Amino acid sequence: MGAFVIGGYLGPLLIIGLVIVPSTLIAGTLGRLVRVSFLLTLPVAISVVLVSVFTRAGTHVLFAIGPFDATMEGVDFAGQILVRLFAISLAIGLFGLTTDPNALVYDLERRGVSPRFAFVANATLQAVPTMVERAGVIQAAQRARGLDTEGSLRARLRGVMPLVGPVILSSLTEVEERSLALEVRAFSRPGRRNLLWAAPDRPIERVARWAMVLAFVSVVALRVTGNFPDLV
Amino acid sequence: MLELSGVTYRYAGYAKPAIHDVNLRLADGEILGLVGANEAGKSTICLVASGLAPASIGGGLSGTLTIDGEAMAGRPVHELAERVVVGFQNSATQLSGVARSVFEEVAIGPMNLGLEVPEILARAHAALRTLRIEDLAERAPNRLSGGQSQLVAIASLIAMRPRHIILDEPTAQLDPEGTRLVGEALRALAGTGTALLVVEHKTDLLDGLCGRIAVVADGAIVREGTASDIFDDPRLADWGVEAPARVRLGRALAGRGLDPAVVLA
Amino acid sequence: MTVSALTAAALELSGVGHVYPDGTRALENVDLTVPVGQRLAIVGQNGSGKSTLVRHLNGLLRPTEGRVVVDGTDAATLKVAELAARVGLVFQDPDKQIFAGSVRAEVAFGPRNLGRRGVDLEAAVAGAIEAVGLADQAATNPYDLGYSRRKLLALASILAMSTPIVVLDEPTTGQDARGVARIQAVVAHLAAGGRTVIAISHDMRFVAESFERVVVMRAGSISLDGPPAEVFAGPNWPALGETNLEPPLPARVGQRLGLGATPTDDLLVAALAERPRS
Repeated sequence: MGAFVIGGYLGPLLIIGLVIVPSTLIAGTLGRLVRVSFLLTLPVAISVVLVSVFTRAGTHVLFAIGPFDATMEGVDFAGQILVRLFAISLAIGLFGLTTDPNALVYDLERRGVSPRFAFVANATLQAVPTMVERAGVIQAAQRARGLDTEGSLRARLRGVMPLVGPVILSSLTEVEERSLALEVRAFSRPGRRNLLWAAPDRPIERVARWAMVLAFVSVVALRVTGNFPDLV
Repeated sequence: MLELSGVTYRYAGYAKPAIHDVNLRLADGEILGLVGANEAGKSTICLVASGLAPASIGGGLSGTLTIDGEAMAGRPVHELAERVVVGFQNSATQLSGVARSVFEEVAIGPMNLGLEVPEILARAHAALRTLRIEDLAERAPNRLSGGQSQLVAIASLIAMRPRHIILDEPTAQLDPEGTRLVGEALRALAGTGTALLVVEHKTDLLDGLCGRIAVVADGAIVREGTASDIFDDPRLADWGVEAPARVRLGRALAGRGLDPAVVLA
Repeated sequence: MTVSALTAAALELSGVGHVYPDGTRALENVDLTVPVGQRLAIVGQNGSGKSTLVRHLNGLLRPTEGRVVVDGTDAATLKVAELAARVGLVFQDPDKQIFAGSVRAEVAFGPRNLGRRGVDLEAAVAGAIEAVGLADQAATNPYDLGYSRRKLLALASILAMSTPIVVLDEPTTGQDARGVARIQAVVAHLAAGGRTVIAISHDMRFVAESFERVVVMRAGSISLDGPPAEVFAGPNWPALGETNLEPPLPARVGQRLGLGATPTDDLLVAALAERPRS
């Protein structure tokens, strides 16, 4: 978020260089992180580049394709957006790769989020790998009945439709069964629960969190009051 | 003691009742077996006896569910949960899917009850001990065999400390070893004074386990009696129930003029 | 098990091993030859490799070691869609395969994929639905059927493909007495038509009554292999015990009475009747 507020090139690059990359090195996931964020950002990045380079009005025309002029101002704008996007996707990727969803949700509940909301959030986070696994089994069953999903793209696409129904329906059945099973265990009882453990929270993590909040608030404040220094 | 009196229940959206005029009494410490053809109404009886129907899934109920003399009508499910719980056949959906360890899974129920932490821990430990699965405590719930995960599901129910436990085909998905483990667990539970209502197709399992058996056919309880009374009843096949192996063999022997008592002694 | 030299093999597995990508070894050095028309039951504890093994028969899994030959052709040279015409596999969980809006449409999916059309297709579909006893519900939405009927529907959807080899993974799970009898009739009918039937099962009575050969799996390998009378006979009880399997009651009684191998009620009664009365 900070990256968008700061703007320019230097701000997002500073965030990447001073915050994200060091944390990632500590976590030891730099390679995976770059791959993940690159894949996440690519589709948006392509459209941003196309749209801003060709539609941004400006005086420095680089070249023209039909009615569209590519301007220097457009390139500049696209560049600024791209570094911000990349900073954000790196930050999200870092969060995803280093945070245990279970611990996160548990901690949210400890901090006052309702147990029901915490459960739904947790179940949602865990649902993706389950769905992928289920889709695999279902597809195996359809292939066993002669559905050809090997080879061409068309063959693969043909295999998608018979997959959708059972994936959704069996997930729904499962959700229904699971919610009954949870109700049996007093899930719907109103009021707070006593939790068994707290996610470890070292002093340095607390300091880092507050530092980030502080940095974000001051950047916003500087922007709003117009005192933000001009960055390249 | 749990009692169904004159119960007729219709699922939401259906005109015809799934069960009608059901009377059933479950005494403390007893294991009552429920047998019958598929779609005869056994699962519906489980849902009604546990209070989930209609409290959780809606539908129309007439007649009463009473536990230890108190009528349960109108009570929210979380209040019922301390008196009666129900487990289903698919152990995968019995587990919350959010716990990191078996211990945490078993602790969810007591946590939901709002108990203090020492009590939660005590209950979870006790539940694992009753089923002799303390060694699974630190395991990931999604990395268990079918039998193990069914035992964990049952332990999660026991941790609620209900006086009555209803199990709908707990061994259907299990191999012979898993079935044996669940059988032993049920016997251990009944020993603690807990009342059990168990739906099963595996009559060999019920044969050694249940004092009484009730037969469900076409939405009604058509016969009730001791295990040997029920399993020797010649109408068993008409009710869609497989007789235990000893009974089938006994009949085959008798059919050829051989004395089962001598052969099976 | 003696295999006549004249009998062609429906399936031939030699030295088949499978190691999953995560390094778990599920199968080790499995040799198995199944003659055409045989009824073969595979038993063993959960996790012993039974389901992994049958997924090799139609190419859903490929061996990481050894070779699978189906009907004389190396399975490695065939796509799953091609193998599906030879080996029909009914999965244990019907909800992982049912997707159509009606029983009839669900059953027609397989044979249609195999290129069958028109009257031929309709006959195959109607026959399969009839065989599992769902004729009255041909137009019903599968999700309005109970679990045991959805399982029968999954069976019908494979029967309709008329494959020479039919593989059933835990067909009797959740079935009542009538459902089990129905499945036993289907197995007998398939065998009478010369088809090869392979079933995974935990139900020892079903195994002893409906199959002529039993393969016991333990930790990814075959530990016992023979006719039920042999596999369930006294000398094998320790080996069965190691896999937590108990021989069916008539086999135990027959052994105790010194009548030898009597894995079914009928065989025990016959053996008793032949014995001189004392």
